[in-house]
Parts: sequence; structure tokens; C-alpha cells
Amino acid sequence: MNDKILRFSRTWRVQHLLLMISVFLLIISGFSLKYSHTAIGKILIFLEGGFEARGALHRISAFLLIFTTIYHLIYIIFTKEGRKEFKALIPRKKDFDDFIKSILYDIGKVDKRPEFDRYSYKEKLQYWTISLFVLIMVISGAILMFHNYLFAVFPKWIIDLSLSFHSWIATLVIIFLILWHFYIVHLSPENFPWNSSFWDGYVDEKWLKENHYLEYKRIKKT
Amino acid sequence: MKTLILLVLLLQTPEDQNRRCLLCHGKKDFGIVENGKFKSLYVNYDNLKSSVHKKFTCVTCHNDVRVIPHLIKPKKIHCLQCHFAGNVVGAPVEEMPEKYKESIHAKAKREGKKAPECYDCHGIHNVRPPDDTLSTVYKENIPSTCGKCHTKEKGSYEISIHWQGIKKGILESAVCNDCHREHDILPPDDPRSTLNPRNVVHTCEKCHANVQIMKKTGVPIKQVEAFKESFHGIALEFGVLKAANCTSCHRYHDILPSTDPRSPIHPDNLAETCGKCHPNASQNVAKGKVHILPEEKEAGIVYYVYTFFKIFTFTVILGLVIHIILDLFGQFRRRRYGKK
Repeated sequence: MNDKILRFSRTWRVQHLLLMISVFLLIISGFSLKYSHTAIGKILIFLEGGFEARGALHRISAFLLIFTTIYHLIYIIFTKEGRKEFKALIPRKKDFDDFIKSILYDIGKVDKRPEFDRYSYKEKLQYWTISLFVLIMVISGAILMFHNYLFAVFPKWIIDLSLSFHSWIATLVIIFLILWHFYIVHLSPENFPWNSSFWDGYVDEKWLKENHYLEYKRIKKT
Repeated sequence: MKTLILLVLLLQTPEDQNRRCLLCHGKKDFGIVENGKFKSLYVNYDNLKSSVHKKFTCVTCHNDVRVIPHLIKPKKIHCLQCHFAGNVVGAPVEEMPEKYKESIHAKAKREGKKAPECYDCHGIHNVRPPDDTLSTVYKENIPSTCGKCHTKEKGSYEISIHWQGIKKGILESAVCNDCHREHDILPPDDPRSTLNPRNVVHTCEKCHANVQIMKKTGVPIKQVEAFKESFHGIALEFGVLKAANCTSCHRYHDILPSTDPRSPIHPDNLAETCGKCHPNASQNVAKGKVHILPEEKEAGIVYYVYTFFKIFTFTVILGLVIHIILDLFGQFRRRRYGKK
């Protein structure tokens, strides 16, 4: 009963790893600028090798993130596996119903746990929120990075606005990663201390049955 | 008899004693010919009588004059004769003479160049306290005092908003020494200098972050804070000195408000001013606000975006926390009742 099932392919895992590294570096180097007046900001800037090195690190990590994004787009457009994964991530009405059912289940109004497919509403929210965040961050970041060229095109307030967006979305990314992503994959009782599938791709059959029953049924059928 | 003479001597006021000097030096045409030129040796005694040294006699400072009339030329006197730490005559010292020794003026003097000493700024016989309107170091008179040598800078300063402020009677406005300091004046490339790019913001901040002064002059108080939070401000704080400081855009002696067409920060001149560092700067740089915090309503669209995100972020945190609590609540409830 406790067999292992491959949940994430190697390409999928590599994409996650690249995203993880680039976002981690971006957060560290960005946070230290936003909070440069605090002790932790100063320590981070020191560890990053000074103020200008911090900027370089931020830009290099940004290019890694953009590279990962392009890699991902190619994956979901041009590979069969990618298209299948993307289809499974498209939000449906069922996700909203699942969300309501989950809440009712948590407070004890419904006895039956909602049955999730390959990606539950929680994972879909993760995917789409991060996608939206990356899009905003790349656009506003590019405006900030190329402000010297864009001064010829955009009025100054566009650059101020980009700065505001960049800073706030970054805050939201950090909050979302900690309170949603980390909770779901690390701290929630069903995955504590962590779900190792991001590394080796495998999950327990038991875990899959409990958390993604519809997919479990489909795998068992074939 | 001896005691009587002593008593008479003691009862003499400085004025009585100085009368003997003024027999000659009190005459307007009194002088000598030195190196083929006439040199006036006239002393306007009224100057001394209204100075901080009014209690002293001429010979207190000119202490090598023992017999009157003196036959030799008295040596040049120096303020440090009295104004040194531990002096017994009660001359105020503070740390000023020490500070002066560090200054660019003292350095030039040591190198044998022409540079001011104490009396060049404080006056010779007419030394008055700084709050005396006739003093050479009275706020309103400082530009003229420094301008005796720094003529170009004085001319430049006199078109500035700071000088206009002084003329209007706002004596909190900056004159030379408010930025340059007075005794320990250092060149801008000295890291200790108030004019060093690293320190400029702190120099301007002394007044521009002072609520009372800014209220009086009507200049927005948040400008310094907004600058410090900007990328230029943060970069400077971390020693990236190529980043713009106040003077990079506002210039220094001839600082003018943005409403003045001569000002480098007038909307028509901004493209050129920003263009000094940002090569593609065009008229676009004038379309937007500067030195305004995003939480100020004057920031326009940035303010609304900022406020939206403030509320939105708070809502997101609240929602996510509620989600976690619900999830934990459900898990533990089911565990307790043994449900799966």
C-alpha cells in the first residue's frame, strides 16, 4: 500500500528548482534594498558584497528568473507533457466548489473530504498567483532597470509607479510564499516537515490517495 | 604714599589708561611711512569701546609696549595670547582655536599662502559678539565678511533663495557658515567636510528637516525623508558617491526654488539637470513628482496605488492566516474524533 508514485517529471523539478533559486536570490537582494535602513538590511548588503554588488546580484537573479520563465513557456507550449500539465492547471468551476467544500469540511459542516484532481485549488492558486507576480515583477523591474533609456519614452511618474508596484508585489510574494506555499508544502500536518516530491518527484501512494483522489483513481485504472 | 599711587592706578578705568595711547593713535592723520607708503596708525577708539574687549587696555593685547611713547614697532599680536585653554584672564576659549588649526585656512596659512586668521573675520578692534547686528560675524554680515576674499561665491550666493530669506528677515536662512561651518572649514574632498558628497544630505537636513524653520519658510518638510528613501539617497548612504546628492541638482551657492526660471530644477531645465547623469533624460523627467513620499496625497497616482496595496496586502495576510487557522482547526478536530 505504501508504494511510491512519480508525481513530478525531471523537467518539472528543474523548473521548480530554478524558480526557487532565482526567487530566493531576488528576495534576499531586493529585501536588503527596501530595508536598507534596518540592521538586517545592512547585514544582508554586507553579505552580498556591498551596495553595488547587491544590485548586480539582483539583476543576475532576474535574468535567471526570465530564463526560467522562457523555459517554462517553451515547456507548456511545445512539449506534450507540458501541455498536459498546463491543462491540469487551468482553473475550473470545480476549484471554487472545492474551496467552499474544504472550508465546510474544516469547520465540520460536511463529512466528506472534497476530491481533488492532479492539482487542487491550492496548487492552482499557487501557480497562477506566482505567474501573475512574475509578470508584474518582470515588467516593472525592466522599467526600473532600463530607466535611463526609458526616460526618453515614459514620463517620470511611470517609473515611480513601477517602483511602487515592484516593491509592493515583492512584499506580497514574500507573504504568499510564507503563508501559503510554505504552509501547504512544509508546515501543514499532512506534509510536515516537508514534501520531498519537489526534489525526487515521488510521493507515497497513500498521500496521493488522500490528497489527490481523482488522480489516484485514474492512475489505478491504467 | 606708595599705596596711594597704587590705589590711584587701580582706580583708573581702562579709558583713563588708554588715553595715553590715544594721544597719538587717536589722531586721524597719525601714521608712518613704511616701505615708501603711508601707513595709518589711527585707531578708532569707539570701536574698541563697544567691542567685547572694552574692559581691556591697549597694552593688554599689545603687551610688548612697556613705555609710552614706545620707540620700537610692537610685534604683531595674536588672539591665542589670551584665548588658549587654561588662561588666567578669563578669555572664553571653547574649542574654536583648536578647530581652526584643522581648517583649510590654517593649512593655507602654514603653507605660507594668504589666508584669514581670527581677526580677518572677527575684526581687530571692533570684535563684537555674533548676536550684535554690527558684528562682522552677525548672521546678516557673514556673506560680506567671507565675501571680502570669496567675491565670486558671494556674488553667486546673493541671488540665492537663502539670501532672499535673510533679506526678508528670516534669519534661519542659511549663510556661508551654516553649510561650510566656521572655524573648521574643510575642502569638499575631505571626508570630514560638511560638503563631502557623503555628508551633504546631513548638512542640508539640519534646516530642511527642522519643522519650525520649514514651517516659517513654507518649504515641505518631508523632502529630506523622501530623498533618503529614494534610490539616490540609499546609494549615497552606502557610499556610492556617484549618486546624486542635494547639490548635484540644486547647485549650492545660487540655490533657487523650482518656480524660478534660472533654477536648475525649474521644469524647463530639468531635462538638462537630470541629463548630467541620465543621458536620455528628456522633458519626460518633469512629468512627475520629486521628493514626495508615496504615502503623501500629493504623490498622485502613486499615492492611490500605494494605498490600494497597503489595504490589499493587509487583506491578503488576514485571508491567508484565516485559511491556515481553518485548516489546522479542521485537521485537529478530525484527529480528535478519529475521522479520516
